[in-house]
Amino acid sequence: MKKLSIAILLASASLLFAEDGREIMQKVKDRPDGDTRTSSMEMKLINKNGSTRIRKISSYAMDVGADVKTIMFFQYPNDVKGTGFLTFNYDDINKEDDKWLYLPAMKKTRRISGKSSKTDYFMGSDFTYDDIGKRNIDEDTHKLLREESANGFDYYVIESTPNKDGEIFTKKIVWVRKDCFIAEKVEYYDKMGKLHRKLQASDIKQVDGFWTVGKMEMQNVQTGHATELNFTDPKYNVKLDSKMFSVNKLERGL
Amino acid sequence: MVRSIFKIALLGACGTLFAQDELSLSLNGFVDTYHAVQVDYPHQYMSSRTRLRLEMRADYGEASLFTSLNLAYNGIIDEQTGAFLREAYFDYAGELLEIKAGRQIVTWGVADGLRITDLISPMDYTEFMANDYDDIRVPVNAIDLKFPGESFTAEAIFVPTPEYFVMPTGEDNPWSTELPEKTRVDLENTPEKRLKNSEYGGRFRYFLENFDFTLTALHTYNKAPVTVTSYNPQTDSVLIQGVYKPMNVVGGDISIPIGEFVLRGEAAEYFGEVLSSANGFSYKTRNTFNALAGLDWYAGNNWTLMLQYMHKYIADYRDDLALEKNSSTVTARISKELLNNTLKLSLFGYFDIDNLGFYARAAADYLVNDQITLSLGADRFDGKRGTFKAYEKNTQVWAKGKYFF
Repeated sequence: MKKLSIAILLASASLLFAEDGREIMQKVKDRPDGDTRTSSMEMKLINKNGSTRIRKISSYAMDVGADVKTIMFFQYPNDVKGTGFLTFNYDDINKEDDKWLYLPAMKKTRRISGKSSKTDYFMGSDFTYDDIGKRNIDEDTHKLLREESANGFDYYVIESTPNKDGEIFTKKIVWVRKDCFIAEKVEYYDKMGKLHRKLQASDIKQVDGFWTVGKMEMQNVQTGHATELNFTDPKYNVKLDSKMFSVNKLERGL
Repeated sequence: MVRSIFKIALLGACGTLFAQDELSLSLNGFVDTYHAVQVDYPHQYMSSRTRLRLEMRADYGEASLFTSLNLAYNGIIDEQTGAFLREAYFDYAGELLEIKAGRQIVTWGVADGLRITDLISPMDYTEFMANDYDDIRVPVNAIDLKFPGESFTAEAIFVPTPEYFVMPTGEDNPWSTELPEKTRVDLENTPEKRLKNSEYGGRFRYFLENFDFTLTALHTYNKAPVTVTSYNPQTDSVLIQGVYKPMNVVGGDISIPIGEFVLRGEAAEYFGEVLSSANGFSYKTRNTFNALAGLDWYAGNNWTLMLQYMHKYIADYRDDLALEKNSSTVTARISKELLNNTLKLSLFGYFDIDNLGFYARAAADYLVNDQITLSLGADRFDGKRGTFKAYEKNTQVWAKGKYFF
């Protein structure tokens, strides 16, 4: 009887922590970032020998209720210059994202699957399409593991496990900074439970009153490949025409 | 052609004088070299060409000028060596109207490598199909007007002097068909370049939450020549001439994402399409229905698979036509990207069901760095009969290098 009571108590505590974990991740997702935002990204792909490749991207995003429309244009290197990627990211987990890809060499726009590409890596980087988009928090179950302090900041440490099969990670551990609700560090674990990738955010600062990440580094610890993402010239609440997020604009380019 | 480029450069320079703050100029391009060798004896070069592509762009506010030019050296086909203007157009993007006027490549439809409604820019078959798809399209002089919307676009196009297929001809071209003695081919008798022979049409495109669709109408021509053979008893010679006739096309396309798949469809009725007769001495016109169903599978882990089936149905059919009443083509493409997308392996197949013929291209593309791509591949032509059988001897291996700047 005593054992049963302890088990019930532990289960209740687990549920309580699960709720806390979800609330924290909801705050991370709801962190104010304006109704529209633009930035330039430089993506540095570094292989284990140290040789690098560079990708430069201009990105524009607009919130439509809880959904997000994003359009990205590749500026460099020249073999992909003009390639455009338009995404309507839906908050409803039962609704697949809408995605279009414009290939300038073919002069053609392709409607692409909104489902599978989420788990593919983005343009040869170590970030998946899901990592660079806005993942619905209810696609994972979140559990607050502990709270800790390091480098002068306080953190929530959350364990998130996907609710569906077919994800490239089976678990991720997220360090959320308490003062700004930014996920500063994330560890992704593979199907064998081994550490697969590590994300580190840095250069965290306020721009126009919004907390902003200036640099993200994702390292695949199993292959030795890494990707640095540097954001320059971030702007919030800029005036953007809704026609900016259209296939016509995708085909015209910037 | 060179005069046109100077005009564009001059306009760009004028822009610089009047509004230096807002004018931006860019020059990009690439150098590529491609060499192919026949697999069978006598292992001759099937292609050997090197070119410099220059792409110049001047932007001023919502207006821009774009020019692309090929400076090419072809070690096998003399007439392919020289400077060739590819595109040169003026572009203006207003809020309610967008205008693109000049020499441009027009691509319509959702089919991959097959033509149902994508009829405006014809194909350059100088090396038959053994060329990259972006190089195989022929630019046209056109005025393209668009009324842009958020999830809807209306477009009207006018091509005063349509362009036609470029077919492999000339004794130095390994892709031209061998002709019997005293036989001559004349494919140059395309319609006169007069306004009454122009091409025009329009389309409505919708991009919706669960699917995209397009409705298309076009007054065009059979741009691939239908050939008619005549015999001259006085000279004891045979003349094969191309026939090009106007036709009207009404059709559309659709794309529907379903989970990891995207289902594509494209269909069009060709009213009055010209067709060869079975004996080769005359031609007929018939209404034909042309449709394509395609399935793309984004399988994850950088695997992509694409399958297409195309069908042609000839109405009011009689046995004196060269084509069957129903004919079909299948294409398949499979690709996988490896090593953080630096290596792409792909296999493309084109199957002529009726003639049991096929063309298959296997390729490996490796990104050495941000500027250089090296590619190796092989093309195989085979079949029981038909065009692919005729190109059996052209089965080849090839190598390509490309440097972007």
